[in-house]
Amino acid sequence: MIRFWNKRLKTGTLTEAPEIDTELAALRKSLKDEVKKKFAGSLAIRMVDSGSCNACEAECNALSNPYYDLERLGIYFVASPRHADVMLLSGLMTFNMTPHVLDAYAQMPEPKWVITLGDCPAMLSPFEKNFAVNAPAQNHLPIAHHIPGCPPSPDEIIRGLLAFLKKI
Amino acid sequence: MRLIARYAVELEEVYEIVTVWDEQTDRVRVSKSDPHIETLSHTHPAAIWFERKMHDDFGIVIDGAFDNRPLVHQERFPRGLHPMQKHFTQTAIEPVEYLPYKYETIGGDGVFEVAVGPIHAGIIEPGHFQFSQAGEEMLHQEVRHFYKYRAVEKMLEGKTLADAKAVIERISGNESVAYQIAWRDIALQAAKTELPDANRKYHAMLLELERIIHHLTDLGFIPNDAGFGAALAFCSKLAEEARRQMQRLSGHRFGFGAIGFEETKTDTTQMKLYLDDLEKEMRFFEEWITDIPSLWDRFDTTGMLAHHKALKYDTVGVVARASGMALDRRDNDFYRAHGFVLHTEKSGDVAARFKQRLAEVKNAIVMMRALLMEQTDPVTLNEVHDGDYTAYAESSLGELFMNIIVKDGIIERFFVRDPSFMNWQALHLMMPGNIIADFPLINKSCDLSYAGNDL
Repeated sequence: MIRFWNKRLKTGTLTEAPEIDTELAALRKSLKDEVKKKFAGSLAIRMVDSGSCNACEAECNALSNPYYDLERLGIYFVASPRHADVMLLSGLMTFNMTPHVLDAYAQMPEPKWVITLGDCPAMLSPFEKNFAVNAPAQNHLPIAHHIPGCPPSPDEIIRGLLAFLKKI
Repeated sequence: MRLIARYAVELEEVYEIVTVWDEQTDRVRVSKSDPHIETLSHTHPAAIWFERKMHDDFGIVIDGAFDNRPLVHQERFPRGLHPMQKHFTQTAIEPVEYLPYKYETIGGDGVFEVAVGPIHAGIIEPGHFQFSQAGEEMLHQEVRHFYKYRAVEKMLEGKTLADAKAVIERISGNESVAYQIAWRDIALQAAKTELPDANRKYHAMLLELERIIHHLTDLGFIPNDAGFGAALAFCSKLAEEARRQMQRLSGHRFGFGAIGFEETKTDTTQMKLYLDDLEKEMRFFEEWITDIPSLWDRFDTTGMLAHHKALKYDTVGVVARASGMALDRRDNDFYRAHGFVLHTEKSGDVAARFKQRLAEVKNAIVMMRALLMEQTDPVTLNEVHDGDYTAYAESSLGELFMNIIVKDGIIERFFVRDPSFMNWQALHLMMPGNIIADFPLINKSCDLSYAGNDL
C-alpha cells in the first residue's frame, strides 16, 4: 500500500478546472437559492438507457473519473428512480424498453424532470424509425431539456446539466 | 467444429438456413410455406439463441429444441408477427396483451427467485437476470436480454454499403472500430479493391486503442466491484486519457467515423510519448494490484468457466482465452509481424479474466508502436459488385462476424453476430457455487455488450 500512497501524493489532484469553472462559479451563485429550494442543494439523477449503443453510458461513467468528478458540483447518479429528481434518458426508446422506461418514470417522486441525452432519444441519430423504435421520447414523456451529441462528451453533459438548472 | 453463427436468409421461394462453422459453412433450404429445421442445440448449446431468434424473425419452426420460448419478442410483442420477412414493412406496431415469460427456475424447499433488471442500479445497459437461490448461494441464473432490440438488421436492408456505415458504427459504442473494420473488409471485397498496407496498419492501431480503452475501464471496474475503489480511480484516469488519444487521432472519443478511405496524418511523436507514459503507468498498476491479497481472495476461484465448458458453448474473446482457448482473430501473419502474442490463462475465473485483460493491454502497447504510421493515402473504391460477403474482426470483446448480401447494389440481408451473443449464453455456467453478491463481479469480469447482443 505504501507504493499507492506515494503515487497518490505524487499525482496530486487531476480534476480539471475547465473554462466552464468561472461560468460555473457565477451560475452556482445565482442558482444557489433555487437549487437549494428545489433539490436541497444536490441534484439526484437516475440514468435510464432505453436502447443506446452504450456510448452515452460510457460518457456518464466518465463523469465520475478523476478528470471530471461530477459529484463536486452536487450532482450525482442514484440507483433507484425513487431517489431521483431527474431522469437522464438515452437511447431509441425501443418497443421492448418503452414500458420499463414509463414504469421508472412513474416511480419517481414529484417534482420530476426528464432530460434526454444524446441524439437517439430525440430521433436525430442515424438510426431510422422502424417497428422496434418508439423514439422520439417526447411522444411518450414530458421532456424538460435535451443534451445533444453522439455521444455528448462529459464536458458537454456538464454544460447541458447546468443549462437545465438555469432553465427551470 | 466451432459454431460461429446460424441465421436465415429469405430467397424468392425458400428460406436458406446458413450455419457458419470455423471449418465450413452449411446451407440448407426449407420451404416458405412450412419451414422446419432440426435443432443443433443438443451438441452446440449456444445454437439455441440463434434458433429462437430465427423463429422470431422468420417464423421458422425448430424441431427437437429444448427451448421454444420467444427470444427477441417480449411479453407485449404482437404474436405471430415475423418482422424479418420481406413482406413485413410496418414502421410501427401496437403492444398487445401481456403474456408472461416463463423463466427457467429450480424448485425445492426454501429455494427462491431473485429478479434483477431490466433497469439496473448503476449506469449500465438494460437486461434481465433471473436467479434461483438457496440462501446466498446461486443455484441457477437465466440471462434474458433483447430489451435494446432496434431491429438493425431490418433497418439496413435497402441501403447502400456507404449509407449503412453510420448505423453500423453505432451498433455497439464500445466496439465501434471493430464493427467499422468488418464493414471496411466487406466494402473492399464488394468493390474488389485492395487496401494499402499503411492503411491496414493505421486501422489496426485504432482497433488496439479501442481495446485498451475497454480493458482499462474493466481493470478499474472489476476491483471496484470487489470493493477496491482506488483501482477504479486509477484506471478510469488511464481510460479517459486513452479516449482523448482516440479523439486526437480520429476526431471522435469513440472512433465513430474513424475507419474510412480518406487520407490521415498522425503525430507519431506525441503518440509515442503517450504509449511510453501508459506503459509506465501499467507497470505501476500491475505491481500494485498484484500485491493486494484481499482483492485476489475475491478474484481467485470466483466465477469459474472450465475449459471444456468454454469449448462446448463456443465462447469467444477474453472469456474463451481466460479459460484456456487459443482463439483470436488476430492470430495471423499480419498481426504477428507487428508484435501480436496470443496470450491465454488457465484458471477460467475472475482472476484469469483480469490477468488476461492486463496482458492484452501490455501486448496492445507493443503492437501500437509497431503499427504507428505517419500518413495514409486516400483509397478510391471501385464500383460495388453484388455478392455474399463475410468479414471477421477481433473486437475488445472477441470475435465479431459480419455477413452482408448485396443485390442490385443495395443490402439485401445484413447479419452480424456480436461476440457477446455467444458469451452471454455461457454466463450462467459461472454462477453455481458462488454467492449472489459475487454476481456483479463475475458479470463485470466478462463485461459483455447488451447493445451488440440485442442489435
